[in-house]
Amino acid sequence: MSEPTSKLPVQAAPIELEREPLVGDLHGPGWLSDKIAGVIEAKTPLWWWCAFIPSLVLLGMCGTCIAYLISTGVGVWGLNHPIMWGWAIINFVWWIGIGHAGTLISAILFLLRQRWRTSINRAAEAMTIFAVMCAGTYPVIHIGRVWFGWWLMPFPNSNGPIWPQFRSPLMWDVFAVSTYFTVSLLFWYMGLIPDLAVMRDRSKTKMRKFAYGLFSLGWTGSNRHWSNYEKAYLLLAGLSTPLVLSVHSIVSLDFAVSQLPGWHTTIFPPYFVAGAVYSGFGMVLTLLIPLRSMLKLEQVITMRHIDLMCKVTLGVGCIVSYAYGMEYFIAWYSGNPYEKSTFWNRLFGSYWWGGWLMITCNAMVPQLFWFKGIRQNLVIVFILSILVNVGMWAERFVIVVGSLYHEFLPSNWSYYMPTKIDVLTYVGTFGLFFTFFLLFIRFVPLIAISEVKGVTPQADPHHPLGGAKPGGHH
Amino acid sequence: MKTIPPPCPEPDSGPKYWRSLDHLAENQEFRRWVENEFPSGVNEMADPVSRRHFVQIMSASFLLAGFGLTGCRRPVETILPFSKAPENYVHGKPQFFATAMPTRGSAIPLLAKSNDGRPTKVEGNPQHPDSNGATDRFAQASILGLYDPDRTIHFRKGANTTTREEGLSALSDLAGQAKTKQGAGLSFLLEQSSSPSRARLQQAVSQKLPQAKWYSYEPVDFSIHRQAASAVLGKPVTPYFKLDAAKVIVSLDCDFIGSEEDSYIHIRRFAKGRRLVKPTDTMSRLYVVEGLYTLTGANADHRLRVAPSQTLAIAARLAQEVLKQSGAADFSASLATLAGAAKANEKWIVECAKDLLASGGQGVVVAGYTQPLAVHVIATAINVALGSVGKTVDYHAAPDAELGGIAELAQALNAGQVENLVIVGGNPVYNAPADLDWVKTQRKAKNVVRLGYYEDETFAVSDWHLPLAHYLESWGDARTADGTVVAVQPLIEPLFGGITELEVLARVGGLDKAGPYEIVRETFRGIAGASEESWKKFLHDGFLADSASPRVSVQMDWSAATKVIADAKPLPAPGQGKLEVIFHRDYKLDDGRFNNNGWLLELPDPVTKMTWENVILLSEKTAKDLGVESHDPERAKVMTQRVKVTLNGRTVEGPVWIQPGQADDTVSLALGYGREKTGRVGKKCGYNAYLVRATGGLYLAAGASVAGTGESHQLATTQHHGSMEGRPIIREANMSEFQKNPRFAKGMNMEAPPSSQPLYPNPLDELQKKATHAWGMSIDLNSCVGCSACVVACQSENNIPIVGKDQVARGREMHWIRIDRYYAGEVTDPQMVNQPMLCQHCESAPCESVCPVNATVHDEEGLNVMVYNRCVGTRYCSNNCPYKVRRFNYFDFNKRPLDRLYDSPLWSKTDGEWELKRWFKDVDRSSRPEDEWELLKLVKNPDVTVRMRGVMEKCSFCVQRIEQAKIAQKVKAGPTGDVEVPDGTIQTACQQACPAEAIVFGNIKDPNSRVSKLKAQERNYSVLEFLATRPRLTYLARVRNPNPAMPDYQAMPLSLKEWEEKGNEIEGSEPHAEHEAGAEKKAEKGARE
Repeated sequence: MSEPTSKLPVQAAPIELEREPLVGDLHGPGWLSDKIAGVIEAKTPLWWWCAFIPSLVLLGMCGTCIAYLISTGVGVWGLNHPIMWGWAIINFVWWIGIGHAGTLISAILFLLRQRWRTSINRAAEAMTIFAVMCAGTYPVIHIGRVWFGWWLMPFPNSNGPIWPQFRSPLMWDVFAVSTYFTVSLLFWYMGLIPDLAVMRDRSKTKMRKFAYGLFSLGWTGSNRHWSNYEKAYLLLAGLSTPLVLSVHSIVSLDFAVSQLPGWHTTIFPPYFVAGAVYSGFGMVLTLLIPLRSMLKLEQVITMRHIDLMCKVTLGVGCIVSYAYGMEYFIAWYSGNPYEKSTFWNRLFGSYWWGGWLMITCNAMVPQLFWFKGIRQNLVIVFILSILVNVGMWAERFVIVVGSLYHEFLPSNWSYYMPTKIDVLTYVGTFGLFFTFFLLFIRFVPLIAISEVKGVTPQADPHHPLGGAKPGGHH
Repeated sequence: MKTIPPPCPEPDSGPKYWRSLDHLAENQEFRRWVENEFPSGVNEMADPVSRRHFVQIMSASFLLAGFGLTGCRRPVETILPFSKAPENYVHGKPQFFATAMPTRGSAIPLLAKSNDGRPTKVEGNPQHPDSNGATDRFAQASILGLYDPDRTIHFRKGANTTTREEGLSALSDLAGQAKTKQGAGLSFLLEQSSSPSRARLQQAVSQKLPQAKWYSYEPVDFSIHRQAASAVLGKPVTPYFKLDAAKVIVSLDCDFIGSEEDSYIHIRRFAKGRRLVKPTDTMSRLYVVEGLYTLTGANADHRLRVAPSQTLAIAARLAQEVLKQSGAADFSASLATLAGAAKANEKWIVECAKDLLASGGQGVVVAGYTQPLAVHVIATAINVALGSVGKTVDYHAAPDAELGGIAELAQALNAGQVENLVIVGGNPVYNAPADLDWVKTQRKAKNVVRLGYYEDETFAVSDWHLPLAHYLESWGDARTADGTVVAVQPLIEPLFGGITELEVLARVGGLDKAGPYEIVRETFRGIAGASEESWKKFLHDGFLADSASPRVSVQMDWSAATKVIADAKPLPAPGQGKLEVIFHRDYKLDDGRFNNNGWLLELPDPVTKMTWENVILLSEKTAKDLGVESHDPERAKVMTQRVKVTLNGRTVEGPVWIQPGQADDTVSLALGYGREKTGRVGKKCGYNAYLVRATGGLYLAAGASVAGTGESHQLATTQHHGSMEGRPIIREANMSEFQKNPRFAKGMNMEAPPSSQPLYPNPLDELQKKATHAWGMSIDLNSCVGCSACVVACQSENNIPIVGKDQVARGREMHWIRIDRYYAGEVTDPQMVNQPMLCQHCESAPCESVCPVNATVHDEEGLNVMVYNRCVGTRYCSNNCPYKVRRFNYFDFNKRPLDRLYDSPLWSKTDGEWELKRWFKDVDRSSRPEDEWELLKLVKNPDVTVRMRGVMEKCSFCVQRIEQAKIAQKVKAGPTGDVEVPDGTIQTACQQACPAEAIVFGNIKDPNSRVSKLKAQERNYSVLEFLATRPRLTYLARVRNPNPAMPDYQAMPLSLKEWEEKGNEIEGSEPHAEHEAGAEKKAEKGARE
């Protein structure tokens, strides 16, 4: 590739005001395709196996735990009389929170013309889908009689007919989560079609050609295809956007609708959404920082991306902190002694560590992102991104267990401890998540090839490198 | 359900059915059968139980019913289906038979419910003049004992199983031997009994075998009341306390509410004396002197916490004050020597005495069974001096049974005077005083024949073991507390061919008529004459009217009293290093006789809330002195230290528990646990306090030391937090406050939301308006004493499973009704309050709106109903229940053995067969051992669903009883359309069992129903009212009646004080000013009209 030269005077802003490009000075679109498709086409690296086999083992463990649970009874978990929800619900909310970043990045940032999303949206969406799968496991398995779980679905029946109880937030959950999952999956797949076609065209084996061919739905890249594709993509983005807000709002209503001090809070819907986005971005950072170096994608997923994600995390982190403050203010201002006692217990009760962990990780840790030096230090960002998710897990723990263990009548007060099965099931869901994620890395382009090309300097007609030039490469 | 038995039918003239024994006896073949008594196939009784066998047994019970009983019972039938249905029998409809549960010196008159020939529930006999339908937790749980798979099912010779015939022939051999020697070398060791038949048999046998010796032993013996009264009143009498008539009650370490005999009658009378309707009503005042925190102490207005050994001094000082004017000079002089030790509590005693004197003969002093004779004598003297005799205490004639004690028997055994020892009931190897070394002593008899219910410790060292029949399988009789003769009649043929005490005595005595029915019939003839009609009425009613022991007028024999007092040897005051041990009857297992009863084991102790084991109780200070650590209540596991208690060189080891309100330097050991040989349920439960209990210190012993072992121990308690934290959950005030502001309980409400009216009217509201009934309940916290009979009654009625210690420790017990126990004040000497907590049946129920599958819904009569087969188990309902009264089946508690709950059917085996395969073969199979499973099925109430795992359950207000009553009323109403169930027809199980009559259930639509009137009372309030859940269960606030002159007088109850310390103030609310539930308002209005 020759160095293109420009004869026209460049009307560029002063160097200090110029934005850093979204992706670095790439060696042209062809190079980009080679690079991204190369991840799949290259020989399976050793580290992949090292990650994949333990993931499979964990997945097996998860399955075993679930089989044990369903065959034996919910009693294998650490639940007890006042604390009837424990790790299952905590983990459900946690995973579903993680599942927020993907659709937010792909849909809301798309609508807001935030073009930096292109480098990370594919992986984030995949993360969303797998996280929602992990999350979705829990509501199903946590019920006492799993084999009757389908009674939560409204289906015509001859028993009366008996319908589900539409007043129950658990019922709304069924709709919210399943809709979110379906739309997220469609959106993800929709965006994949041009890239799958790329993969098909590059395939060297029949098997691959067939498989990618099947899933690329006969994509030819014609203008008509592109035109339909863009419209559909926009529509789905529009459809997904409210879902991003609705899912976690509804999940929060699982708590907010109840009478329980600590749950019965009107601030929950926005607070949960902010928390979800917070944890989602945390998880995207956790995944992409090692991935970009493993797959040598530093030029595609640049420090600018990391920087921007840190800023989003900081922003939503501040919203979360505000919500925490507001909860305490209302507990004090309401004058309700039951409410006061619950919030006192969060910080100074048996589960004080949960309360402080939550405040440290969710309100204090993101404040470090005010500093550019920190945002640019991958090691620190990586550690902080993990802390974000630890903090969000603690938040859910504090809300679920911390509100149930000491509530209205002191005679009911008790204590909750997870059992081995609780822990192993949770660890097992990581197996589920990573198994799928690693397969995703191996078989699906983890960066939207077609989209990311659109943000390269070459694609910008005003850029010295860009513009359609006669004889230029395409 | 009203449980008055059906009317006794007139005798039938036609020879359709066999109506009486005489009738039957005309038949030669039958006569032979009667003599032989055991039809062919009886050997099978010795075989392991099979399902087929059970069917046979069940059908055999039909036979028995006809054999023994007259018109009230089902006539003789075989296993074949009825070709002609017997009278009054409707398949599936329960029948009620009057019987009684014998206790030591008394009995509890009962109505037993029988479903198709199997007893399933017992209730108090409401027609009995003394009990009025009350029961206690032991009676309620006794039904489980009938179906205990671990009870003796075999006749045994040594360790070998033998047949019933052989067992009985061994008895006749014994009888033959005894006859030739006139009974020499033959000794009987009996339990106490109030049975007239046993007394008669004993006499008859003594006549035949004059040389035979009789002994009796009860590890917990209540006969001290009789002993004391007889010693100083000149006649063999026993006191009968009429606590309802008393204005001032002083308990000298007497736990009449909890562990004394006939506590259910005491509770009923005590509650009656404290029932309040209007602020102008009066209530009795209770002073309690005790060392252990008992239920009586919990209900006291003034509780003096002292080591029980000091009670004697306090009693003496109290008597001094009371007897200032009267009494004998000698007596007063001996009192003075004893009273010196009571200096520390001078003011308390003096004021208490003043109050007693001011009561105008309506004071009463009661002494506890743990106290020595002198205390009882002093109590009697005070009662006599107060002029209470005839007012608050009656003396009934009570002839002495003249039996020797176990120590005398031990002497005889050691002297080699006993050749044949017949142990009838009891378990002396386990519970005899440790110094008698009973295992060895008993072996000195050549031949030990033992009649027992379990193959227990005594079984192991007996030559012959005969299975004892349960009282629901036996013919017998007894006398209740007031002496009324009650019938003990079988509802079922002995499941395992057991025999009764009467039968054994008759057989060993070589009496002609050895059939238990004949024995009882004969006794009755002696008491009430030969009339067949009165016998029938006796069986039908369950008691013989007007047969109470005659009241005797008594005269105090001061010189006898002086002698007793002079002989009294007061125990030294306990101190560091020489602690005082209190051996007390356990609230749950009694003296150990209910050791294998899962319902009782899992019942939380009414005070400590401990399940499945006993603990070593210490006061906080004593524990600190000893360096024993208390558990941390904020931890998941209730871990405590194990300690060793050493008394006179004997040691017992157990977990320690710090009991608020326990006297310093005392150690409480509950009897009845730590069994070596017992059933599957009772094994490994607690420590055995009998190991350190010796003659001379059966209840109180001085000089014990306690040392930590360094080991820790996990306990299973159902309540972790003891303080109400200043929350107005149980509301109480002093009498003076109640008189000033009768609506004090409502003045403690938190501000409710401005309107609890929903935006959209509930379509159910219209239906509710149209419905005939609106069910509601009222619980009077002033009456509830916390005895927990309701908890067991509910468990029995509603097929509630037990979950085992491990699961209780994890907080998964299943009781639908629980008694919340809170302490208020300092840990050294707190006040205790109790509150029965069950589903509140909220009109606006938080559980209902969150269930995604409509499994918990409201019916038009206001019940919050749980649809088990719709429930998928999301458990959200429980999370959203502010009262936390819902229970979740975390495991298949009904079908799985408690020690195998965690075994997955996917990879576990039962009887060598893969569990999953078994399950596919037959879903209804259990992984419990076959015998256990078959028996446990029998105890279930067929009107209540047995819940599977994964299902939420809770109190239903006994909806099965409601429906039965409604159906009955509909049938009765016929075309009149008067389907309103009359008030009082439906009693919930808890209500029916409640001896205090604290629980009232009924139709709140009817303004004249009892429950409406109670709810209209000013003390009425609902818990967590501000949540606007509008519970249908409301409480009546508790009122304390302290004496302002007392040194420990509290101007307000300590829980109220805690609430006020949180910055609250009782609102002197205007009537009608506040928000109330609509139905309640109506009820109130109706009541005023």
